Amino acid sequence: MTTWDGLVHGLGTALQPSILIYSLFGVFLGTFVGVLPGIGAMAAISLLLPLTYYISAEAALVMLAGVYYGSQYGGSVASILLRLPGTPQSAVTTLDGYPMARQGRAGVALFTAMVSSFSGSILGIGVLVMLAGWLSGLATRFGAAEYTAMMVLGLVAAATVGSERPAKSLAMVVTGLILGTVGTDVTSGAQRFTFGQAELMDGINLVALAMGLFGVAEVIANIRTADTHGRPDRVSLRQMMPRAADLRAMPGPILRGTTLGSFFGALPGTGSTISSFLSYALERRVARRPERFGNGAIQGIAGPESANNAAAITAFVPTLTLGIPGDPIMALMLGALVIHGIQPGPMMLEARPEMFWGLVVSFGIGNLFLLILNLPLIGIWVSMLRIPFRWLYPAIIVFVCLGVYSVRGSSFDLIAVAVIGGLGYLLALAAFSPALLLLGFVLGPLIETNLRRAMLISRGDPMVFLERPIAAGFVLATAALIALSVIGAVRRRAARAGQTPAPPGDGAD
Amino acid sequence: MQRDWHDIAGGGALAALGIGVAAHAGLTHDLGTLRQMGPGFFPVLLGALLAGLGLVIALPAWRRQGTARAFAGREALAVLAAIVVFGVFMTRLGLIPTTALAVLIAATPAPRAGWRWRLVLATAVSLLTWAVFILALKMTIPVWPWSR
Repeated sequence: MTTWDGLVHGLGTALQPSILIYSLFGVFLGTFVGVLPGIGAMAAISLLLPLTYYISAEAALVMLAGVYYGSQYGGSVASILLRLPGTPQSAVTTLDGYPMARQGRAGVALFTAMVSSFSGSILGIGVLVMLAGWLSGLATRFGAAEYTAMMVLGLVAAATVGSERPAKSLAMVVTGLILGTVGTDVTSGAQRFTFGQAELMDGINLVALAMGLFGVAEVIANIRTADTHGRPDRVSLRQMMPRAADLRAMPGPILRGTTLGSFFGALPGTGSTISSFLSYALERRVARRPERFGNGAIQGIAGPESANNAAAITAFVPTLTLGIPGDPIMALMLGALVIHGIQPGPMMLEARPEMFWGLVVSFGIGNLFLLILNLPLIGIWVSMLRIPFRWLYPAIIVFVCLGVYSVRGSSFDLIAVAVIGGLGYLLALAAFSPALLLLGFVLGPLIETNLRRAMLISRGDPMVFLERPIAAGFVLATAALIALSVIGAVRRRAARAGQTPAPPGDGAD
Repeated sequence: MQRDWHDIAGGGALAALGIGVAAHAGLTHDLGTLRQMGPGFFPVLLGALLAGLGLVIALPAWRRQGTARAFAGREALAVLAAIVVFGVFMTRLGLIPTTALAVLIAATPAPRAGWRWRLVLATAVSLLTWAVFILALKMTIPVWPWSR
């Protein structure tokens, strides 16, 4: 199927009223949670996972994807107006967005964020189409050894790239892998870590795990602090009108940001947060007057916002073409597909073209919704920042409970959510990343199955991972990442030992 | 000296979990061979890895200064209690009483005194869940204690 046929085909799927409604619902809810500091895209997607049991796989993925990129749009609102990143991806936007708001140019900053997000997404969709075709062709040559090595690389990259404490991140990944082994072993039928509980035979419920780690733990952490921020100023549509100089400053950063974001989004393990930071650094490097950065440079918003949205789109490339999620949010998307009995992989482009192309087209439509919705509705989003968190969080908790209960009417699952939520809060308190745990949990069974298969084919010879060139490349990259992070840790320790006596509070890294 | 207790406790707990997982899997399941891995192989490997990582986290933290972060104990207790209460009473009391009860419990630690706004919130959320889950999604769950 050519790209053109695919797009026409996809338009047929994406324009179905049911798909359009779920796309609209997804982007609306995504913007809402993105605007609110304290709950992120992970929590919102977890909350919606039970709903996906009731709707078609296409509608589910369109809705969850809408939540994801919608939250990126919304995240910039709190970043610019309150210097509180609504999502981690928009943290960089605070650097120049908040100074612009202080100078009375909040509207222009919001306009820049939205236009850059839209451009980044649309260009990212183009990259997604090109890469997906190429990668699914390449992936037909992948065997079990390649899959295993690539998934391990993805996990190690997610844990080490940009991480201040790689050991803690890796420990979370391994904990997730361990949780993934709970239940019936598919190869031998053995019951692992079920301790006689029939509820655990199918493994730990993904919905319960995601809700506990993100919904519940984030609520607990935010009750005390969420309502301490100030009140945002009102923003009207007229204030969003940019000057000609502002418009001229945008295309360069958007193109560079999109390029960066598309690349890092498609790589497993790196994603939109890293892309936005890299884009900011790049813009400051190429700027003629770098001293303006941090004081309201429009390039400092346009670059990162286009980068994180492009990355959010191209992150679907490995998920859809290889069946391997590159980041925790994609792990939840994959979970939603698996709920519907769809295991994405190289054959998906051929076997379910309506799904792939429908998704591609509805990404475009969803972003158009966002642009159309957000420009006139900006006043509403800003006023959302005035809703006290104490009104929202009891409702969130009830929705978590009902969502989990609706899956199979089990009290056991709810108690599991409470236990996971408590542990998740403790992990977050001690600065362990629960998102990486979830990534490990989803990839664990895939890694184990492929590892066993690879070793069976090679008759027990582990050299298979070095003899096959593609697998060897992944193994070498993994080794390089681990070596780099060990070197980094040793350097940091040496630097700490050098500066005695340590100033108070320095040891927290 | 204020040691980095977060990393000591976190790393120590993970190391213990790793040892437990490896021991349990090694004792109860067949390890198999490299060619034909048994159900115990992968968990033992992961358990050993986690034990190692836990020690790498915990041991250096003993000699390092840390900052304590505030522990939201009351908040955690209220939220978790609300979820457990919901799980226990949902099938017995039905949707609306359970929702109202869970909201009241969850709202206890909110940083604002007074019961009136909590009662209003409980009523509003109960109506909202009824509208979303019964009216819109048509879920078949009991609404009142007597509607089973």
